[in-house]
Amino acid sequence: MTDIEEGRPLPETPEVAHREARAAGALGVLMVVAAVVVLVDAARLRDSDEALGPAAAPTLLGVLLGLIGGALAFQSRHFLRTPERPHRRLWRLAALVAGLVAFALLLPIMGYVVSSAGLFTGAALLLGAPHPARVAAYGWTLAVIVFLVFDVLIGLSLPTGPWGF
Amino acid sequence: MGDLLSGFADALTPGNLLWAFVGVTIGTAVGVLPGIGPALTVALLLPVTFRLEPAAALIMFAGIYYGGMYGGSTTSILLNTPGESASVATALEGNKMARAGRGAAALATAALGSFVAGTIGTIALSAAAPLVADIAVNFGPPEYVALMAVAFVTVSALLGPSLLKGAAGLVIGATIGLVGIDTQTGQTRLSFGLPSLFDGIDVVIVVVALFALGETFAHLIAGTGASRVEPLRGQPMLSREDFRRSWPAWLRGTALGFPIGSLPAGGADVPTFLSYSIEKRLSKRPEQFGRGAIEGVAGPEAANNAAAAGVLVPLLTIGLPTSATAAVILTAFQSYGLQPGPQLFSESGDLVWALIASLYIGNVLLLVLNLPLAKVWVRLLGIPAYGIYAGVLVFACLGAFAAGGTIADLIVLTVLGLLGLLMREAGVPVAPAVVGLILAPLAEQQLRRALALSEGDWSTLVSSPLTVALWILVVLALVAPPLLSWRRRRVSQTLEETSTTH
Repeated sequence: MTDIEEGRPLPETPEVAHREARAAGALGVLMVVAAVVVLVDAARLRDSDEALGPAAAPTLLGVLLGLIGGALAFQSRHFLRTPERPHRRLWRLAALVAGLVAFALLLPIMGYVVSSAGLFTGAALLLGAPHPARVAAYGWTLAVIVFLVFDVLIGLSLPTGPWGF
Repeated sequence: MGDLLSGFADALTPGNLLWAFVGVTIGTAVGVLPGIGPALTVALLLPVTFRLEPAAALIMFAGIYYGGMYGGSTTSILLNTPGESASVATALEGNKMARAGRGAAALATAALGSFVAGTIGTIALSAAAPLVADIAVNFGPPEYVALMAVAFVTVSALLGPSLLKGAAGLVIGATIGLVGIDTQTGQTRLSFGLPSLFDGIDVVIVVVALFALGETFAHLIAGTGASRVEPLRGQPMLSREDFRRSWPAWLRGTALGFPIGSLPAGGADVPTFLSYSIEKRLSKRPEQFGRGAIEGVAGPEAANNAAAAGVLVPLLTIGLPTSATAAVILTAFQSYGLQPGPQLFSESGDLVWALIASLYIGNVLLLVLNLPLAKVWVRLLGIPAYGIYAGVLVFACLGAFAAGGTIADLIVLTVLGLLGLLMREAGVPVAPAVVGLILAPLAEQQLRRALALSEGDWSTLVSSPLTVALWILVVLALVAPPLLSWRRRRVSQTLEETSTTH
């Protein structure tokens, strides 16, 4: 059964509901922090002679971020206190984020094909792909096809490494 | 009418037909992948169209859009993983039909219903858009501000599990929209001195990050992957009985979808659920609902497609996107040199009519392509999750790089992807964020323009009957949802009862 309103699975177990509440609380806290950043940034802006200066929208949004974030955090305050069992695969997330950053940094040096093949292989393995060699072959194939279609055929110039692809 | 015919003349060259064909094919192929809804399909495939001349780009884009929509229905029916909330209603009965071995009939009624609704919707669009544009020409900044206020409130109220979470999504998006140089004073906002943020964050990057990276990250930490595809038996054809039950539902769905979709409020979700509950009420066999009633696929699917055409009315004539998909379409149009708004029809009439003609063509191609190829699309569903999401990641990075062209864009993509993960985990809907990202800067601009014209007099915002009516609507939209959600909870309760009683 899916939730008719959201299309996401209903929180069947208390554990899932708990997790969602914790995430909502964390998002709320993040929004309050963002509110402070937005308000500080808005205060820095020079006012203009307009009726409504450049700081008006950020100030309004900063206040809204703070209020809504505060409400989200308040709603899930009970869940934020209880510590989470650290069995969720957050290390995988960290590894993939590191992979994405590495992709961004290596792209101009190694070229599109090598970096993308690496990104595909790394991501697929983190997502639980069973055969590393086969996945690497898929990654190379995909990267080469994308390069041929987008760079050679369509003319969207993609970065090339010292070897020209 | 003459305009439309010349639009067809522009669109119907052999070269353009080829682009439409390619667009429908890759749109369906990507849209069919689980977890990828139309907004993301369109955002991911946008770079493909960047180097084409505007008319070819538009027709290919129309193909991708319709292909993505149809691909999404296929996934909803066979896999029960709707890629966006507007296909949830289709999944309700469609997946039940697939489990009962009637997947082929469900796909056929979805395809034919999409075709009927898409065609009627496009005809209605051709008729309504010039009229609305004529009215909208007289809109001043106060009217725009009020219209956008309606869109803000309805989008956050309708697209989320609660007003608070919907509003959270909207405000997060609007804040991202602040980043960059303020056009009036030339000062940078929220850029922290980073030159790559001065031009703001590209919408394509935000959409790809929130939808694609968010989804990929969620799969990563959940460790999910194995999904159950219902096998497809027989050719997707409708029996006489199925057809007799489907066509009234298609027409009713269309009648609901187009008008509601074309309101500056809410997009395609509401008409699909309305259609579902109406079909259930009107059905001679209400007991079949919850076990795979074909009307429950035909109606919502038609409503979804008709609404998708309806959403183009405010988008083209007022420049007001009311769904995440429409927000991406708006950016696409801008990259093709089209500026949606009341002047669009007079200034770039040729291209607009070529676009509308492309929508008709895309719709026909979709039908021609999809019924025979249904089995090919089903095979795509067999790709293991790790392959799909690793591939999505590669295309997401490609899209971000094509949209921005710098390394910093890829870093922004990653950071926003993490934000998308947190929003997803928290049950905060992503679609309002995309709408807020586009609309908030426009609303700010119009509000400042209105106040500059009135020399700081705020009463200009309620200076015409239309603005007053729109602001009353804003208040109603804030008050009504608690009542509506109470009703909707009742509906989903009854749904749950019907699904557990057998």
